[in-house]
Amino acid sequence: MIKQNSMFLPSFPMNTNPVSETMLFGEPDPDLNSGQIMDWLEDSLPYLPSLLDDLYDSTDIIDDPWWAPVEELEHDIINADIFSTFESVENLTSTVSSTVTSSAPSPPTELPGVPDQPPQPAFDLSKKRKAPPEEGKRSNGNKKGTGKSTKDSSGNSGNDGRWAEQLLKPCAAAIAAGNATRVQHLLFVLHELASPTGDANYRLASHGLQALLHHLSSSTNTPRKVVTPVTSFTTATPKFFQRSLINFNDINPWFTIPFNIANNAILQVLSEQEHGSCKTLHILDIGVSHGFQWPTLLEALSRRVGGPPPLVRLTIVSPENHQIPFANCPTGYDFKSNILRFAKDVNINLQINTLDNCPLQNLNTQIINSSPDETLIVCAQFRLHDLTHTKPDNRTEFLKLLRSMEPAGVILSDNNMDCKCSSFDAGFSRSLDYLWSFLDSTSVAFKGRDMEERKLMEGEAAKTLVNMCEMNETKEKWGVRMMGVGFVQTAFGEDVMDQARALLKKYDNHWELRVEEDDEAVGLWWKGQSVSFCSLWKIDPKTSNL
Amino acid sequence: MAMVVDELPEFGLSEFTSSSATTPDDDHSRSWSDWSPVVDWDAFSVQPQENFHDLFEPEMDEDTDKTVSYSDDDRNLASPGSLMSTEPMTDCRSESDDTKGLRLVHLLMAAAEAMTRDNKGHDLAAVILVRLKDMVSTHEGTNMERLAAYFTHALRNLLESKGGGGGGGGGLHYKQQHHHRADILAAFQLLQDMSPYVKFGHFTANQAIIESVTHERRVHIIDYDIMEGIQWASLMQALISRKDGPPTPHLRITALSLPGSGRRSISTVQETGRRLIAFAASIGQPFSFHQCKLDPNETFKPTALKLVRGEAIVINCMLHLPHFSYRSPTSVASFLSGSKTLNPKLVTLVEEEGPREDSGFVGRFMDTLHNYSAVYDSLEAGFPMQGQSRALVERVFLGPRILGSLARVYQEQGECASWGDWLSGAGFHPVNISFANHCQAKLLLGLFNDGYRVEESASNKLVLGWKSRRLLSASIWASSPISD
Repeated sequence: MIKQNSMFLPSFPMNTNPVSETMLFGEPDPDLNSGQIMDWLEDSLPYLPSLLDDLYDSTDIIDDPWWAPVEELEHDIINADIFSTFESVENLTSTVSSTVTSSAPSPPTELPGVPDQPPQPAFDLSKKRKAPPEEGKRSNGNKKGTGKSTKDSSGNSGNDGRWAEQLLKPCAAAIAAGNATRVQHLLFVLHELASPTGDANYRLASHGLQALLHHLSSSTNTPRKVVTPVTSFTTATPKFFQRSLINFNDINPWFTIPFNIANNAILQVLSEQEHGSCKTLHILDIGVSHGFQWPTLLEALSRRVGGPPPLVRLTIVSPENHQIPFANCPTGYDFKSNILRFAKDVNINLQINTLDNCPLQNLNTQIINSSPDETLIVCAQFRLHDLTHTKPDNRTEFLKLLRSMEPAGVILSDNNMDCKCSSFDAGFSRSLDYLWSFLDSTSVAFKGRDMEERKLMEGEAAKTLVNMCEMNETKEKWGVRMMGVGFVQTAFGEDVMDQARALLKKYDNHWELRVEEDDEAVGLWWKGQSVSFCSLWKIDPKTSNL
Repeated sequence: MAMVVDELPEFGLSEFTSSSATTPDDDHSRSWSDWSPVVDWDAFSVQPQENFHDLFEPEMDEDTDKTVSYSDDDRNLASPGSLMSTEPMTDCRSESDDTKGLRLVHLLMAAAEAMTRDNKGHDLAAVILVRLKDMVSTHEGTNMERLAAYFTHALRNLLESKGGGGGGGGGLHYKQQHHHRADILAAFQLLQDMSPYVKFGHFTANQAIIESVTHERRVHIIDYDIMEGIQWASLMQALISRKDGPPTPHLRITALSLPGSGRRSISTVQETGRRLIAFAASIGQPFSFHQCKLDPNETFKPTALKLVRGEAIVINCMLHLPHFSYRSPTSVASFLSGSKTLNPKLVTLVEEEGPREDSGFVGRFMDTLHNYSAVYDSLEAGFPMQGQSRALVERVFLGPRILGSLARVYQEQGECASWGDWLSGAGFHPVNISFANHCQAKLLLGLFNDGYRVEESASNKLVLGWKSRRLLSASIWASSPISD
């Protein structure tokens, strides 16, 4: 101590100044070291020997159970998933910087387009991966998977709260506003929380994050380094696809209720026809049922008083756009032979036609080969929202075309939501609401279990986040369009409603059917939120001469 | 000159210090001068639009060189869109630590933001906190990890107290009580060894006192929070060892004590008094000690003081030193305004520095995080090898302070006002910091790391900072203008 002091004093510049006489610095050792302080406090230290023992016996201040270590569970799949997400974020970082660079007035410091030299992320995560694993030291990073794997069971993960959208929606808004700082912040957080497993929130975060990254990379023309394969109908095997749909329809009424209503509405239209049973029934199927809808109809037709129609024709229009959720099926998937066999068993004379590569706008009586002496019923489910309704207004044109085919009835079902064409963030936010209902109801349907079938259905639903052609409209707007081209809405019969209600009882009781007073459409609701609508239309007799 | 302290028996914790120095630790030694913050704090602005503006004007960046934290290697990456900086890593510092630190800050900021929203936001905050809890621990990992663990815990407390109702922020703070007394002493010792935070305030104040009472025969110091009283030992030594100076004045110290204050600080006021009396006697300093209790609502009544005609009154107000307990703003205000009526010769004030503008909870939260991050980093730079010692200081002093600070910030009783500004507004006059005092502070910091800075932010104020972050300030005032 003295030594330090004496070394210290001569170098003190004020040493010869009288003021220095009053300087504290030379007097007490400025480094009042341990001995001195402990001396100072000596009389308050009656139990010094215990001090050393206690010192490292760290009963932490935070000893509440919340900090108890999480049970270590290995979950390789999760880790792998996170890894791929990490790469996406890495990719994004470069995307964001290149976005900024490209819009900067000064010459960019890097060229995003150079293939050999992709824009470097601001922080290089690849280095992290190169770092050798630290032995003997607990790696907190590895705990990540552990934490996530326990999420479904952990009671405090906010299962009831919709937290994921609170990150996704602001992120979309920040993208729209060009606020790169905020975008990056939210993407960081999303990346930390998103998980393809776990409750609906974690899944929504995961799908939403992927969609945002997709949007960022596509809007900046930056090729994505990592294409994370999305589980979807087109990539599944036919067998797995079929099994998944059967399973899903069994536990979630998302499609079965619209199918059921449509089938019973077809029967209703037939029964309202004069000589309905004597004529050929021709169904134009623009839908997403992949054949699952028809066996019940065929069976009902076979039990019909007065017998089935002499011929039932099914004309199926395949989707052109591969991005419409649930519309596509795996290559090699063929349900026709099954249905034909079934029809034979129930003594229905069935004919199936498939129109591939035929845009909806090109449909006409020749192409679908309909004739005036048959009963034509159009069944359009979850497909027409693909038609542009802005410029050009293909949607109204198509409805006019339907009208010109003079169908005996049109059954129109679709997602009951506003269009996302107004702006990116508004559209993204609507898609999130849609996907939330799907993920939440599916989570309930699968009782929280993670299964490949669930992943397939959810991956397909998540297409809505990236599909720019999701131009949904509310049932009211569809109604205006239908009336505009000469259709009139018809109420579903009591029988139709009774059967739908009976079927719905089989499912979770958060589902409900609602019929609003001013409107004869039926709405399917999940937890108080409208999911889809079904409506029945006939040609307005006042316009039948048009 | 003979050092009184050397005559005192060697005792106690020096043993501890040496044992801790040899304790194997998971910390690697590193050259602190290579060290730089993990996080580019400027990137975490709460006014994103401003950042947005910056981001899209890269030429501004070049002019102002906001990207100074980038190494040459990274220079080409320093596009304005790069929101985080990665430092060139020394061998021993793994880059993943930095990346993780960044992730933690993002998560903490998001959690804080979510807590400012409605119940839905609280669900999000809860989810983020669960995630954070999985990532960090208060007793292991990097500075940012341990810090994040305390902040996570603090937010969690706020979230729970919000949900469950009751339990104000005051209760959170006094968790300190639960510590073993020996732990508190050891932590205080370590804090003294590792950083200049305590001494900076004491020395600057004492030097100003010495200078102002040169010709006084009686000096009466009224100390707002005397704690263990170590500040006055060094003052006494300075007073008696003035060579060829005026005779040693009689020193009287009145320590204010909280009503019903028990054992929650390092030592009770009575113990401190006994020690000071004994120490003064041992060095021949004429001395008397008094105690004055604050009112039950912690307000100060000047009339409760015993004053002697002709004595020079010095008001000593040490606030927010790392080991100090929290005092409410109303209590501090009553002390300072009550002091005015005593016409003090000098007022010495030490307080925390921080941005004073109100930037909402998220802004203040981030500011608090930034602040503690600087403190943690400075402690690490001072004692890189003693991870466990630092952990003790963090556990005993900093952790509870974080809990208390965030609780107050969340309840919007943010410590926004600078008491220096308050004094100025109350009619106190600034007293110039002497050149010697300034030099002394510089020399003190010279004993620690180059990372510490002292600057004279006003003629009467010295600010202690770590790197670019201002942490503590010491300022001196008088009730009437000094004419010299």
